[in-house]
Amino acid sequence: MSSLPAGISHDALADLLLALADDELVLGYWDSEWTGIAPLLEEDVAMSSMAQDEIGHALAYYSLLAPHSGIDPDAYAFGRTPPEYRFARLLGHARTDWGFTIARRYLYETADAVRLESLSRSAWPELAGLTAKMRREEAYHLLHLETWFTTFMSAAPSAAERFRANLAQLWPDALDLFAPLPGEDELLRCGILPEPMSTLGARWEATVRPRLEAASVAVPLNSATLPPRSGGQHPDFSWLWNEMTMVYRLELGAVW
Amino acid sequence: MSVATTNHADAERRAAFFAHVAAGGKVEATDWMPDDYRTAVLRFVEMHANSELMGVLPEREWLLRAPTLKRKLALTSKVQDEVGHAQILYRVAEDLGKSREAMLDDLMHGRTKFHNVFHYPTRSWADVGVIAWLIDAAAIVAQQALRESSYAPYARAMKRICWEESVHILHGRDVLLTMVNGTAAQREMVQEALNRWWGPLMQMHGPPSDPAKDRDLQWKIKSKHNEELRQEFLGVYVPRIWEIGLTIPDPNLRYDEETQRWRYTEPDWAELRHVVTGHGPMSQARLDFRLLNHAETAWVRDVVLGNGRQAA
Repeated sequence: MSSLPAGISHDALADLLLALADDELVLGYWDSEWTGIAPLLEEDVAMSSMAQDEIGHALAYYSLLAPHSGIDPDAYAFGRTPPEYRFARLLGHARTDWGFTIARRYLYETADAVRLESLSRSAWPELAGLTAKMRREEAYHLLHLETWFTTFMSAAPSAAERFRANLAQLWPDALDLFAPLPGEDELLRCGILPEPMSTLGARWEATVRPRLEAASVAVPLNSATLPPRSGGQHPDFSWLWNEMTMVYRLELGAVW
Repeated sequence: MSVATTNHADAERRAAFFAHVAAGGKVEATDWMPDDYRTAVLRFVEMHANSELMGVLPEREWLLRAPTLKRKLALTSKVQDEVGHAQILYRVAEDLGKSREAMLDDLMHGRTKFHNVFHYPTRSWADVGVIAWLIDAAAIVAQQALRESSYAPYARAMKRICWEESVHILHGRDVLLTMVNGTAAQREMVQEALNRWWGPLMQMHGPPSDPAKDRDLQWKIKSKHNEELRQEFLGVYVPRIWEIGLTIPDPNLRYDEETQRWRYTEPDWAELRHVVTGHGPMSQARLDFRLLNHAETAWVRDVVLGNGRQAA
């Protein structure tokens, strides 16, 4: 029997779970593109593991929503049009080069760690349990990304500069991970979301911004000009969407 | 010591080495070995490593297109395994005296070879199933025999690789089984893929060769000859292919009770030679793709490994 707190609407629940799931899904897809062509064979295997973890997490979030919506996890992953996805703008960009991939992942992993820590205290036991389990996996991702961060920052000036530029470029889009959710008041009232997104965002910024500034990254001032969580409208994503739904769309209703 | 004495001592050492190998003895990376044995093992393992690495590319084309989340996870994990196998095998080869960067350079410039099947294009999701089920099965028949290789580091690597490959075969069979139990269009897709891959599959183990003239066999780098491997593959997989309702595109294929051997239409050996020498339909495109990605990520290897060190 579901132990979902009373008084929560399906829409509010979907606002949270689809944001979480879509972030993981799309990041996992972009990064799985490195499989077979990463800079080093050892890193190829590592990046593929992380991509698989994210897709597994997306599946877990969709599965948490499925009994309440009657929508199959695959229908969430492949059956929506691009603007219907709810991932943050940070995840809309193509994988680009290795520096860009690592910069995005560094921002994402540090933000996700803050988000997961908070969600592991959710009043909804299923979500608290799931996110606590994910934290154990994500701890390894974070370690891996910290190593890359240090490696790039201590590299020759041309490589370090390139990485700094990637971080500065992505910073405004990373803030979108903590954009307020439409159903946030309801989620907070039921305790599914233990703290407002803005509190989590401020917590993340308080640790990451000084770290970036100490590494001479020109972190821009915050300015939200685009609609929140509109990653699905990024032109790069329409290419990915065509790829990822290509076989799924061949014959609707077919079992694969 | 005179030259004659040295030559005599070398010949004795060489004879003792091959007697050891012939008696089923194993050779470790740190053991003394004749140069021609070292070269033969290196060539064999390098070609195997190249094949694992190039084998990633046809399946990689479907990594973003898997039609369900579970298939996406299974395929990503399978392709990751192949990259891992390439890494393990390049390390085995590196111990024999050739750097990883030199091996990749030779591969990307067409100076060394990789398996024929990875020179062909993929056309549909059914190819993912055929590759994982039948191509991996044909490969595993050969690889299982390599667990007995006289070169011990290679034999040990093959034990792990074979275990992982056996999981891939289950994944591939499940992909195809789901499709043949699906719609008419899905069944057609599977049959079309089998029709396309059957020729390259039959060529994969190479033309029948004279075991007495095969040095890799004499030195026990490998333990089974080409036709033996093909017969073994046909014996296990033809009934399984028939069992799921597919037609094998060879009217002459049958089991001859009298000779206890499979009879089949002679595979196109000219095509095999043409393809493995870099003239297959996708040979150049796949090498160019690898070359391009290698060049684009060179700056990262410089960061991690430093300019003067071995990279890849």
